[in-house]
Amino acid sequence: MNNLLLLLPELIILIVAFAVFILDLVWGQERSNSSVFPALTMLGALGAVIATVFIWAQAGSGALQLRVIATDSGGALSMLAVDQFAMFFKIYAALTVGLVGLVSTDYIRAHTSFRGEFYAMLLMAGLALMLVASSTNLVMIFLAFEFLSITSYLLTGYLRDNDFSVEAALKYFLYGSVASTVMVFGFSLIYGATGSVDLRDIATALASADGTVAGYLVMPAIVLIIVGVGFKIALVPFHQWSPEAYQGAPTPITAFLSVGPKAAGFALMVRILTIAFPGFAHTAAANWVAILMGIAILTMTFGNVVAIWQTDIKRLFAYSSIAHAGYMLIGVVAIAPQYVGGSQTIEGWSQGLNGLLIYLLGYLFTNIGAFAIIIAVENKTGSSSISKYAGLIKRSPFLAVAFFIFLLSLIGIPPTAGFVGKLFVFGAAINQQMFVLAIVGIVNSVISVYYYLNIARQMFFEDVEDSTPITVSGGLNAAVAISLALVFAIAIFAQPFITWTTNSAQILASSF
Amino acid sequence: MEQLFALTPLIPVFPLLAFALIVLWANKNNKLSAGLAIGGIGLSTLTSWAVIAATVAAGHEVQIAGWSLPVPWLPTAASIFNTGFAVDGFTAAMLFMVPLVCTLIFIYAAEYMEGDPRYARFFAYVSLFAAGMLTLIVADNLLLLFIAWEIMGLCSYLLIGFWFEKDSAKKAGLKAFLTTRIGDVLLFAGMLFLYSRTGTLTFREIFKPEVLDELSRMLIWGLPASTVISLLVFGGAVGKSAQFPLHVWLPDAMEGPTPVSALIHAATMVSAGVYLVARMLPLFAIVPQGTLSWVAIIGSVTAFFGATISIAQNDIKRVLAYSTISQLGYMMIALGLGGFLAGVFHLLTHAFFKALLFLGSGSIIHAVHHGAEHADDHHTDPQDMMNMGGLYAKMKRTSWAYFAGTAALVGIFPFAGFWSKDEILAEAWVQWHEAGSIGLPFWAWLAGTLGAFLTALYMGRQIGLVFFGKPRSKAAEHAVEPGNRMTVPLLVLALFAAFIGFINVPFIANGWLHHFAGLVHEPAEVLHLEAVPFQISVALVSTAVALLGFFLGWGMYRNLKAGQQDPLARMLGPVFTVLKNKYYVDEFYKFVFIDTTVALANFSAKFDYDWVINPIVNFVGNTGRLLGELSGRIDTVVVDGMGVLGTARLFKWMGRELRLTQTGQAQNYLLVIALVSLSLIAMYLFGI
Repeated sequence: MNNLLLLLPELIILIVAFAVFILDLVWGQERSNSSVFPALTMLGALGAVIATVFIWAQAGSGALQLRVIATDSGGALSMLAVDQFAMFFKIYAALTVGLVGLVSTDYIRAHTSFRGEFYAMLLMAGLALMLVASSTNLVMIFLAFEFLSITSYLLTGYLRDNDFSVEAALKYFLYGSVASTVMVFGFSLIYGATGSVDLRDIATALASADGTVAGYLVMPAIVLIIVGVGFKIALVPFHQWSPEAYQGAPTPITAFLSVGPKAAGFALMVRILTIAFPGFAHTAAANWVAILMGIAILTMTFGNVVAIWQTDIKRLFAYSSIAHAGYMLIGVVAIAPQYVGGSQTIEGWSQGLNGLLIYLLGYLFTNIGAFAIIIAVENKTGSSSISKYAGLIKRSPFLAVAFFIFLLSLIGIPPTAGFVGKLFVFGAAINQQMFVLAIVGIVNSVISVYYYLNIARQMFFEDVEDSTPITVSGGLNAAVAISLALVFAIAIFAQPFITWTTNSAQILASSF
Repeated sequence: MEQLFALTPLIPVFPLLAFALIVLWANKNNKLSAGLAIGGIGLSTLTSWAVIAATVAAGHEVQIAGWSLPVPWLPTAASIFNTGFAVDGFTAAMLFMVPLVCTLIFIYAAEYMEGDPRYARFFAYVSLFAAGMLTLIVADNLLLLFIAWEIMGLCSYLLIGFWFEKDSAKKAGLKAFLTTRIGDVLLFAGMLFLYSRTGTLTFREIFKPEVLDELSRMLIWGLPASTVISLLVFGGAVGKSAQFPLHVWLPDAMEGPTPVSALIHAATMVSAGVYLVARMLPLFAIVPQGTLSWVAIIGSVTAFFGATISIAQNDIKRVLAYSTISQLGYMMIALGLGGFLAGVFHLLTHAFFKALLFLGSGSIIHAVHHGAEHADDHHTDPQDMMNMGGLYAKMKRTSWAYFAGTAALVGIFPFAGFWSKDEILAEAWVQWHEAGSIGLPFWAWLAGTLGAFLTALYMGRQIGLVFFGKPRSKAAEHAVEPGNRMTVPLLVLALFAAFIGFINVPFIANGWLHHFAGLVHEPAEVLHLEAVPFQISVALVSTAVALLGFFLGWGMYRNLKAGQQDPLARMLGPVFTVLKNKYYVDEFYKFVFIDTTVALANFSAKFDYDWVINPIVNFVGNTGRLLGELSGRIDTVVVDGMGVLGTARLFKWMGRELRLTQTGQAQNYLLVIALVSLSLIAMYLFGI
């Protein structure tokens, strides 16, 4: 296949995004309510999924090592990898865009008069997610990363008449810029140490580098890269932007931020660390596994204990999503093979990674489903305070029961997708004998029961102040139903999903 | 024909769908609900026939090895856990019986349940019940079987306690659920052992000769693993199939509507236990003198002991209930002696004639109940045989059907029970003579033969009391035959009770069932699966005792007058009282288990509140308060911190404090990034 065809999913999203921009421009304000915009967004997302599946099928079952190459007078430079790992995230990104588009319609109609552009920006953010997940050299990584950041800032501040939205976007922007700067400084150290920006070339160069280089350049660089990526994922202590951005952003964008950039950050972290720095995972001098392990413990614990005190549901979900990032990080920590005496097989190696992917997948549907309901309640009550959930069971039994199931999935109770994700990441940690990590994770899951079930208590047992039924548009209903179905499907028919994530995870195994 | 096997997974789906549709949609409409339930089970029956046809056409190899459809389900550390479906000759034989009998019962129930306020709910429950049983049959592994098993447990609870306004019904439902749960826990423990030792729960994997061999050589608690596991599995069957000593729930299960009794006693619930033992038989048999003897012993005890109780019962359905317990004992005897097919054959024939007898008794109760309403009499118990009499003249159809069922149960040539019960007795007889000494087979044969006499006696008594003589109450005088929807299923079942035995008669088609279903355990290479030859002496002895017993019973009771003393009570005296009270097993359990549990609970409560724990707690609390008062605030914090709440408080406190790091000031956040990055780098550069 030639280069352009390999980029078919990205091209579809790009073309649809431009189409939305142009239509919005031509039609002007009067027709900005049109359903064509969300419909186009959904079509674009669907097209991207189909195109990705098509490319996957074309490549057969073997490991894909296709890459998009840029050439100039200086020679060929590998830019993007089109491997199963990247394709997992492309499908993930397209699903995110599609589902967020589905839950946005009502909210956007109610809150702003500039509607078409919103969908175009959302599509662009989706495109950025795809590019981040498949970039294979530091320059491309930085470009894609900034692309994603800028679209995220714009979407966060999309409600330009709302002070909170604008303030959130500004803080997000300031924080993000500094984090990017820190990261790009790390990149420059790597380039200085190896003379290369390609991830595989970096690994080759480092394999023959002397210890001084490793100690004084590479490890600080890895720390700086972790800071940059940690910002994107909202890992503690690089999370501080997120509660405010989540609270201030338009709610559909909060949903997007909680799943999209997080997944992209993980994709990037895994790709950089495993391909460029496999030798630095767990040695005496250089040990990124230890750093991540510390961050994982901090992140889980911090996210959960602070969430206990939140009274605003969007802020609560911000901390909840910080905590979940901590659980997911266990999957990355548990990929280090050295812990089991070097005799690790590829299957065992990819178990943590496999856990990360299945966790992300379950989290996508759970969280977007939950946010769909948050949006429904917010549309009705005009507030995101947790006290507004009192007596939801009387106002809309469907939403209350669905929300309860999403909460169970967030806690990790079977048979929901959240259980499968936790099972795999905790299982990977135990297999790698990282018992502390598993125990901290499990204790944190127990703490999380407190604040998740507090919402359930409100919904089922508190008295209603206003008992008018909550009616929901078709789009929101569909998003809830799809999410519910997949939350159960991933747990009950786990096998195909696990096969899929395993195939996606194993592609990176060859580098170790 | 092979493609028809692919329909197998659909068999349980139809009733399940009917259940879902009734619960979610049709529950306001009685006709529609009944129609959905009957339609669902009817489709299952047709699908089953297609699968049976495929099995017949597939020939001998498939009938033994079976067709199977594994479904990968959960990946575990060691392997992927498969669930799935399988059909072999044995399954096909069960597929002939279960959905057909269920269909007839459902049609019957459509009339029987008329006027019940929870009519639709009834059909939802029975559909789920049938779906459970059908899943159990087509499961190819113990886990799926166990899930179906538990679904049936739930349904039996719901259906036995269906008329939950009656206190006795509520209690009976609970009793059935709790008693069978004892068995379920044992079965589950067996499954866990089996999975931990072999890594699989799929039948065909377990029954590979090398796996069985390994299981017989591994030890659990100093015994062969196969023995321990099969004993635990048998424990499950003892609960579900109401074998001594867990039989107590089955007679109480009569509190449910009569179609439910027929369902539980014939097609579904109790068959499941026998099915399980038959299915797992190679595991029971791999160690000689192991579990099998226990199966035979329990079976013999139950067969005899159930029959003795039955002769002293006056409730028409309780007679049949103890009869079922006794007949299940026969099946266990057969399986315990290694006579796989004899047990299965009796399971099949018994299902038909016991369903017939139960539905027949339902028809009688229905008639007497109507009679009582007609006579404006609300005190007569319509189930008490002492209130009946002379019903033959009023209910011709029911009577003839009932006679056919009785003949089959008693074992009159050529009715179904004659062939199947005789095969069991012949099995015992042949083994006794081969051994040449008095051992387990002899005692099993004796228990079976005495049981056959008693069976004939209580059925003779019942026929005499119910159908002959003069009506002993106003209600019986005004009894009328119910409508076609109730009588036609009876007549159909009567045909089966009469003729189903011929599928396994040595002289006809060479014992067809034996070749079709009897060899499924051949690949396991542990059981002798040859058919027992027909034993004319056994047949003569059992026919003689049956006729003797029947006419004895019939003769004594056919002209019983109202208010007259029970002739057997006069003859047997105190023995009869013991039998009437079912050997006081219920009282014994109440005394030993329930009262002691309650006493223990009371004791523990006293221990907690009055004697030890509370005083200690109070003492500690008072001391703590004292110390708190003495040394002020620091001590209070310590005491609080030691409590369970302390942990929660710690986290809440952490959260509250950490929350303050979120200042809202972007410059603070940026400072954090800088400090964290610098300190991490410093860690590496200076090797801290």
